[in-house]
Amino acid sequence: MASMADPLPPARPNIPSAGVQLPAVLTYEQVDREIGETLNPTKAWFGGLALAVLCLLIGLGAFTYQLYYGLGVAGYEPPVMWGVYIITFVFWVGIGHAGTLISAILYLFRAGFRTTIYRVSEAMTVFAVMTAGLFPILHTGRPWKAFWLIPYPHWRLIWSNFKSPLVWDVFAISTYLTISTTFLYMGLIPDIAALRDRETNPVRRRVLGVLSMGWRNSEREWRHFTRMYLFLAAFATPLVLSVHSVVSFDFAMALTPGWHTTIFAPYFVAGAIFSGFAMVWTIAIPMRKWFRLQHYITLNQLDATAKVVLLTSMIVGSAYLIEFFIAWYGGVKVEQQYFWNRVFGQWHWAAWIMLTCNMILPLSLFSQQLRRNPTWLFILSLFINLGMWFERFVIVVPGLSHEYEPWQWAGYTPTWVDLGILLGSFGWFFMWFLLFVKQFPVMAISEVKEIIPPRMRNAATAGGGHH
Amino acid sequence: MRGIVAHFRELDALCSAIEDLKKERFTKVTVYTPTPRHEIDHAVDPPRSGVRKFTLIGALAGATFGYWIAVWTSEYWPLVVGGKAFGSWIPYTIIAFEMMVLIGALSTVAGMFVLSRIPRLVQTVGYDPRFSGGDFGIWIEDAPERLPAAEALVRKHGASEVRGEA
Repeated sequence: MASMADPLPPARPNIPSAGVQLPAVLTYEQVDREIGETLNPTKAWFGGLALAVLCLLIGLGAFTYQLYYGLGVAGYEPPVMWGVYIITFVFWVGIGHAGTLISAILYLFRAGFRTTIYRVSEAMTVFAVMTAGLFPILHTGRPWKAFWLIPYPHWRLIWSNFKSPLVWDVFAISTYLTISTTFLYMGLIPDIAALRDRETNPVRRRVLGVLSMGWRNSEREWRHFTRMYLFLAAFATPLVLSVHSVVSFDFAMALTPGWHTTIFAPYFVAGAIFSGFAMVWTIAIPMRKWFRLQHYITLNQLDATAKVVLLTSMIVGSAYLIEFFIAWYGGVKVEQQYFWNRVFGQWHWAAWIMLTCNMILPLSLFSQQLRRNPTWLFILSLFINLGMWFERFVIVVPGLSHEYEPWQWAGYTPTWVDLGILLGSFGWFFMWFLLFVKQFPVMAISEVKEIIPPRMRNAATAGGGHH
Repeated sequence: MRGIVAHFRELDALCSAIEDLKKERFTKVTVYTPTPRHEIDHAVDPPRSGVRKFTLIGALAGATFGYWIAVWTSEYWPLVVGGKAFGSWIPYTIIAFEMMVLIGALSTVAGMFVLSRIPRLVQTVGYDPRFSGGDFGIWIEDAPERLPAAEALVRKHGASEVRGEA
């Protein structure tokens, strides 16, 4: 396999070209065989699943404890009544965004490097949004009443307040989850059909037959499918921008210092894409090694994603600096003191973790050598994940703990319940992800075939891939 | 015999067979491909997909519903805040947008299902599992007396395997 993996790159590889990008992948049968092999469980997979379930059980234990004793065990002290749950909610929604960027926006832009990483990214989106959606419900303290947020006919004739950012969130997140799941499932249908056609176990074959809906790869099906896919991508593109904008409005609509700013929507969206790409690395880099898929997720593709991370890091870094500039230039004392307190006062440790991980370390990606070094990208992805969680910490906690009057100034310390539920969220996310990668192909078989030159009888007509 | 299934290993052989089948007026022809290829689109020259009509209708219905539910519920239980209007279209645009995306996307999927005639319960006739692997294929249905001519045509174009199906 080593000889097939990552042939030496030219000095300046033309990464996003629509031409042949997988020189070591030659035939449709090879794609079926190699991607199909990823479905066989290994010891490492069982180990990972056991660890994920253990983390989830710890989270469930903490949640049960909180249900019994009430929200007071979660470390909230007035005036800081938003904490780890809201921070983690924003963190996981953000993680989801890169998946949609890769699967929908890069699809519309015909960026070829997305092809082999879009399936894991899209699955990551669905599971990240599934995780994120739990947190506002946990945060309410009475999760069994969460359905009050949904507009439904009620005997008291009271409806939701459609002017409230919380209700916008309900619409945005539930639409996002529905559309992401639909997008993932629709993309899977031809691949499930391919698995069905190779399955020998009759029970499994029947299940796959139902899930593939009788897909037959006919030209008629493909014609409508590709149109449908294009329109879904066109819907998902503005949707993904709207979702994190709406999440940012949860903050920006309030008058809290540091929150009430028009910069929040683009700042949050760029941060979401930045953190999501980091999570794609955290998942895809070990995956390409364990599944021996280095000739599918090539260094060229990692290099291209690194450029997106570098760009979004610089947008996020600019947003951090602009916040400071506006606090100074606006001349509002409360804002100025809030930002000073954030970086040099009470919360300096959190702010410097954020600035180091999100602004300084990603600058290493200006080096092409580091962009093409999977080990460095993996390490960097862990720093970015950490930094982006702390970015949300730095937005939520210092704002609430340092409002207008000195009596509103306080601290915040998460309890073991907060941290247990945070750990449980990672267990929940990775459990679903690991279950997914053993049931369904981690790469879109039909889309990978699309970028391989088909077999031709007359060699002169070969080439000219899908355009 | 109801028709014949032909396998092709090469894409250009498939496309030339499709073009000849059209010339010979075989009209009930289904082409199979493991992945969408523009060469096949050019050979088959099908009408444009009608999925976009479902998309447009769904999106308009969704946006209308989003505005309607927000405005109607505000008027139904009026809360007077600072003399402001009950129905306020700017925040309601968020609801309308999300509903437009939700209903528009789901009706696009529904359109694909309707037009592609899936879900399909029985899919054994005129199909081969290799069509989702490495083979291209054609399923030709016609009167029994016309099928030998169809078979000769696909073999002439390099079909790797031809079989009849009842």
